[in-house]
Amino acid sequence: MLDVNISKKNQAYLLSEKNKQISDKSVLFTENLNNQAILTCRQRMPFAIIGFLVLYCIIIIKVFYTCLSGGIVISGFEQIDTQTEAVFVSPVTRADIVDANGIIIATSLPTVNLQVAPKPKIKNPEELAQKLADIFPDEDYEKILKKLKKQRYNDIKRNLSPAQQAQVNALGIPALEFVESQARIYPHDNLFSHIIGYTDIDNLGISGLEKSMHKRLTQSTKPLQLTINTAVQDTIREELSAAITKFKALGATAILSDVTSGEIIAMVSLPDYNPNIKISVGNRAMFNFATQGVYEAGSVFKTFNTALGLESKKIKVTDKFDATEPLKLKGITVTDYRGENRWLSVGEILIHSSNIGSAQIILRVGKEKQREFLENLGFSEKLSEFEVYEKAKPLFPAQKDWHEHTMAAASYGYSLSATPLHIISAFNAMINGGIYYYPTIIKDSNVPAPRRVISESTSEKMIPLLRDVVIKGSAKSANIAGYQVIGKTGTANKLVNGRYVQKKVMTSFLSAFPANSPKYSLLVVLDEPKGDDTFGFVTSGWNAAPTGGNIIKAIAPQLNIPADFTLDEQRKHIKASFEK
Amino acid sequence: MINTKTAISILWTTLTCVVIFGSFILKNQVHELENELSRINKEIQSDAQNIQVLKAQWSQLNNPKRLRKLASEHILLNNVKAEQIINYSALPFKYEDSSGNDVMVAGANKKQYKQLVKAERE
Repeated sequence: MLDVNISKKNQAYLLSEKNKQISDKSVLFTENLNNQAILTCRQRMPFAIIGFLVLYCIIIIKVFYTCLSGGIVISGFEQIDTQTEAVFVSPVTRADIVDANGIIIATSLPTVNLQVAPKPKIKNPEELAQKLADIFPDEDYEKILKKLKKQRYNDIKRNLSPAQQAQVNALGIPALEFVESQARIYPHDNLFSHIIGYTDIDNLGISGLEKSMHKRLTQSTKPLQLTINTAVQDTIREELSAAITKFKALGATAILSDVTSGEIIAMVSLPDYNPNIKISVGNRAMFNFATQGVYEAGSVFKTFNTALGLESKKIKVTDKFDATEPLKLKGITVTDYRGENRWLSVGEILIHSSNIGSAQIILRVGKEKQREFLENLGFSEKLSEFEVYEKAKPLFPAQKDWHEHTMAAASYGYSLSATPLHIISAFNAMINGGIYYYPTIIKDSNVPAPRRVISESTSEKMIPLLRDVVIKGSAKSANIAGYQVIGKTGTANKLVNGRYVQKKVMTSFLSAFPANSPKYSLLVVLDEPKGDDTFGFVTSGWNAAPTGGNIIKAIAPQLNIPADFTLDEQRKHIKASFEK
Repeated sequence: MINTKTAISILWTTLTCVVIFGSFILKNQVHELENELSRINKEIQSDAQNIQVLKAQWSQLNNPKRLRKLASEHILLNNVKAEQIINYSALPFKYEDSSGNDVMVAGANKKQYKQLVKAERE
């Protein structure tokens, strides 16, 4: 039994030893295996670390970027503005033009243009063209169809109204595109045509202030303020239109100026045009008579001649001149129109508009002084600093051509030609104390500084002389009740083919009011007025002077100039108004 | 036990998370404000555009030619004439006399009026 037990123990021992050996081998194998995996892991670990580091860096960068930068942009949604304050951006890029009281006389409206894309995919262009022609009655069907078939971008219609835009939108044609645009609008139609001018379809100024001030109008959206008064401009235009109809004149111009600053309050030139409707270049209506109309002004120049005489001290107001017979000079015989044929004082020379007397005054003063004086009054140069684009240079004879007869003719407004703007600017200096103010039409403009051209005393002497012309002389028809008007008429024959024609005249009336302290000056010029309603007379006293009187009568109350009626006269007016 | 190194790591990680979260919230708020600003700016633009159109229309409606036509049709008013502007002292003066009747005196000034009243009393 014992042996059997021992043998069993041995067997068990042997078995366990055997198992142990097998197990040892397995441990060895496992150890070998683990070492290899760890080795591999260790080799791969840096790659994994670097990989994860890069990944984390990307995530961190992205998180910071998302938090601190412009945010996530989702395609199809509009990028949000990152401006930091509320801003006002003008909806138009071209500034408005306003009058002295802020009334808009030129403005821009935001509009859209209708374009068709190149090579448009339109199923039925004929049908679309018909629909568009129905929306735009002023556009031709054939033209629209042609545009729809073109291979490049082209405008089908510019400046659509909001209703038209909605109608086109409703058609739902992807090939039709809207492009933002601006349309220049002139709410007063013809009233300021020659001053403002107009722009082309691309909003580029092509005449008037729109051209000369193009840079200013496009650089700043602040309105450009003029010195013009809309109400006065309208009144003058009405009176001038009536005068053209009455006297069957070819054209007319009127300028109202502030005597003490040179500012132009109104400037009308007829015929005119509507800048909202483009007209052909070369049309008479395009011609700005006030700034381009170089003409021989006639007797209004006697005002300057008399002032020069008084200023030179070569004549006195009380001096008398022989106007009994024509004055014969080298190359010219000076005569008077309906002459007085007697000796005339300086005042009477103006009252009766004596050419003979004027020529004698200038003969005393001399050629050099006359030229110098007229040059000083701006008659030899273009008024290039004046803001309206269209301007003309006066025709001023050269020194070598300034003979005795030139000198005499210039004294009564022949042989040199200037624009109405030149004349009124020079006239202002005669009555405002002797200061020449450069004309301007823009508030706070940078025109040349004022300069003295005659003494204050000469200017003071001129006023009663010019008042007498209106009371007793050729401008009686401008002697309106309530306002003391001063002025001088002028009638000049027109040159046709180098010869002066008798019945074709330019008549002018140069005036100012009120006489006690002139504030406004007015120049009215009529081109070829007819004498049908004036007993055949075509001189200024029959047409330009009454027109000037009517204008002053209408505008003086608008300009707050009090009438100088006596109390008794005022009471009569009140009584008369009640009796009405 | 958490050693110092681990504590610092946790602290930094937490701080980073807080800063990122804070920035994100801040950004969101800024984003919303920018949205609002953009909306307000668009409204301003739209209003400015409407004002521009209204200004042009106003100017068109105030065209002197049109006003003259309307005035002649509806209110019978014409341009002011020089005769219509008068001094105060030229105005007719209305006062009651002793018997209670209205009397119009043309051109009575203050002094004259006082004299008239005095005369009436006497």
